[in-house]
This record gives sequence, structure tokens and C-alpha cells, in this order.
Amino acid sequence: MNSDAAQREELHQKFAEFAASRDPELRDQLVEAHLGLAEYLARRFCNRGEPLDDLVQVASVGLLKALDRFDPEREVEFSTYATHTIVGELKRHFRDKGWAVRAPRRMQELYLRLGKVIATLSQELGRSPTIQELAAEAQVSEEEVLEAMEAGQAYRFTSLDTGGPGDEEGETLATALGEEDSELLDAESRAALSPLIAQLPAREQRILHLRFFEGLTQSEIAGRLGISQMHVSRLLARSLEQLRSASEEG
Amino acid sequence: MAEQDEVRLTVPAMPEFLRLARVTATGLASRLGFTFDEVEDLRLAIDELCFALMGTRGRPGTIRLRYLVTDQALEVEGVGDFRGEGPEPTLSDLSRQILAALVDEHEVSRGSDGLPCFRFRKARMEYGRRL
Repeated sequence: MNSDAAQREELHQKFAEFAASRDPELRDQLVEAHLGLAEYLARRFCNRGEPLDDLVQVASVGLLKALDRFDPEREVEFSTYATHTIVGELKRHFRDKGWAVRAPRRMQELYLRLGKVIATLSQELGRSPTIQELAAEAQVSEEEVLEAMEAGQAYRFTSLDTGGPGDEEGETLATALGEEDSELLDAESRAALSPLIAQLPAREQRILHLRFFEGLTQSEIAGRLGISQMHVSRLLARSLEQLRSASEEG
Repeated sequence: MAEQDEVRLTVPAMPEFLRLARVTATGLASRLGFTFDEVEDLRLAIDELCFALMGTRGRPGTIRLRYLVTDQALEVEGVGDFRGEGPEPTLSDLSRQILAALVDEHEVSRGSDGLPCFRFRKARMEYGRRL
């Protein structure tokens, strides 16, 4: 048996075992083995104005669904089945997001500028600045600040991840699933509240935990994780959106 | 008697219109001197509660919003006036936990008219208490 065939056989075994045991460790291994497929499919959709990282996440959710629903007894290869589910998930993502309008360039720029102003003012004041203070410092109106906040959340900016190394959203599901983090919810409370949280990348789980269970503010979280507050804000909004969609699908 | 300003807004119960609900809330919060952190919380709370009423894809009908502004706090009420049958609006335990961290009070219920509704209140924090 050549090594390809041997690998296929091993995977096949794992699927059969997973179907019977639903062992989370096995699930992680199977996810990891197919992340390449999720990423490959996500790339096929990446010229439509969505950040690749976001698409990879959507595809990864599709992969998890495929894994949970796959029946190895049926005469279908998992990759075929998963491709169908992942592409479905990606298409649905675009359909649901189809309404979103790109923010005007001026607002994108203001949003980026505000990130720096917030950091400076928070430092100076020792607290989160008010909208008035932000507007005065950035020399724009309060309405423009609020508009820029909305624009920033519009989630489809491709160029907003301007943070340095370590401030990128590149964490994959594999790291999320494989990583132990003492600040994550313990397994029991996580399971009780929502198994959906466990599907988010490790850093987003951590941010959710710090914000909603530890009660830290966004600026405190930004300080602790060494990323910008704008970034915390976007990650939180995105996590909540994903949790809502996932919980609706049950 | 405490001064209380009121703003009303009715939007189609579709995700693309929630932006207006958020912008109205944040505009009022800004007048109250809310901090950036608090305004961010407000935006997430509006989304969480509106989606609890109408689901993530929206429903035929409208959401009627009522914003009450006092010296120290913003209170928002939303009523889902939907056409056709839909699932009972509920908050998951997770949503409750999230909202507890975002706002001071919140509830989702059915009004006396039988329509699903929510209400939440967020007070302005004294400067310097956090951070």
C-alpha cells in the first residue's frame, strides 16, 4: 500500500471511530487534517471584498458542521461531502452579507486615525475618552466619530488589520482547538453556556471571556492583549455575530 | 420632575436597518457624555436585543424603537411588530450573560399587546472608575 492510500485508510478509520465515539480529541485531529481544504475553498471566494481571514473562519465553521454530520457508512468521501458543506457556508455568508455597503474611504481613514487618538487619549486621561473628547482631539464632529465607528464595524474592510506582528487575526481553528489557555472558560461552564464558544478561535474565546465573564472593558482587554481597542471591538462584534448565527442553526 | 427626552424610530426588521438603531443610540449616548467604551457596549447591546426579537436574518415587519434620555442614562425599548408566525423571542443563557456585562438592566418579554419586546438601560459611568 503506498503512503497516500495508507493515509486515506487511517483517516477512514478515524472517521469510523469518531462516528461511534464523538471523541473531541479525534475531532480535533480530523479538523486539522482538513483545514487545508477549508482554506483552499475560502481562497476561491477571496476576490469578493471579504478579508481572507474571515472567509477561512466561515469555511472552518462549515468544516465543523460537515464533520459533525458526516456519516462514514455512506459511500461518499468526506472531502466531497465537506466541500459541499463548506461552499454552502461560504455562499450563505455572502448572501447574508450582500447588503453591506462599503464605507466611504474618508470614514475608513478616520476610523484608522481614531484608533491612534483613542490610544493616546486613554493613556493621557487614564480612562476611556468620551466621544466629545475624541471628536475634539481628531478635529471632527461627534457625528463623524460615531459614523466612523459604524464604518469600522462594517467588517468588510480588507485593509484594516494594520497592527504589527502578533496583532493579526491569523489564528487558525487548529491552534484554537489544540491550545490550552488558563484564561479560557473551564470546560464545564463553557459546555453549559454554549458549545458554540468553543468553535471560535482561541483569542476570540479569550476576549469574550475577559469582557463578558471577567467584566473587563474593551480598553482593558486591549491593554492586556497588546492589541488596539479597535481590534478588540471588531473581534467582539464578529464573535457575537458568529455565535448568534451558529445558535440559530442549532 | 426629572427631565426625560424621547426619540422614536421605526425600522424594517432586517439586519441592514439595525445600523440606524445603533446610530440613534450612540448619537444620544454621545450627548450624555458616554465614553468610547460605553458607546461600544451600547452598540453591541442594541444588536444582541434586536436580533433576539427578529432573528439573524430578520422578519417581515418592523421594530419600533423608543429611546428615553435622562441625565445619567439611556433607556431603549424595542417592539417587534412582525407579520406571520415566528419563533418566540428568547435570550439564551449566553446572551443574558453578555447583556449583563454590557448594560445595567435588560429584559425580553411580550408586551400587553402580545408583541415581543425588549428594554434595556445603560447609565453613564462616573469618569475614572475604570481603567
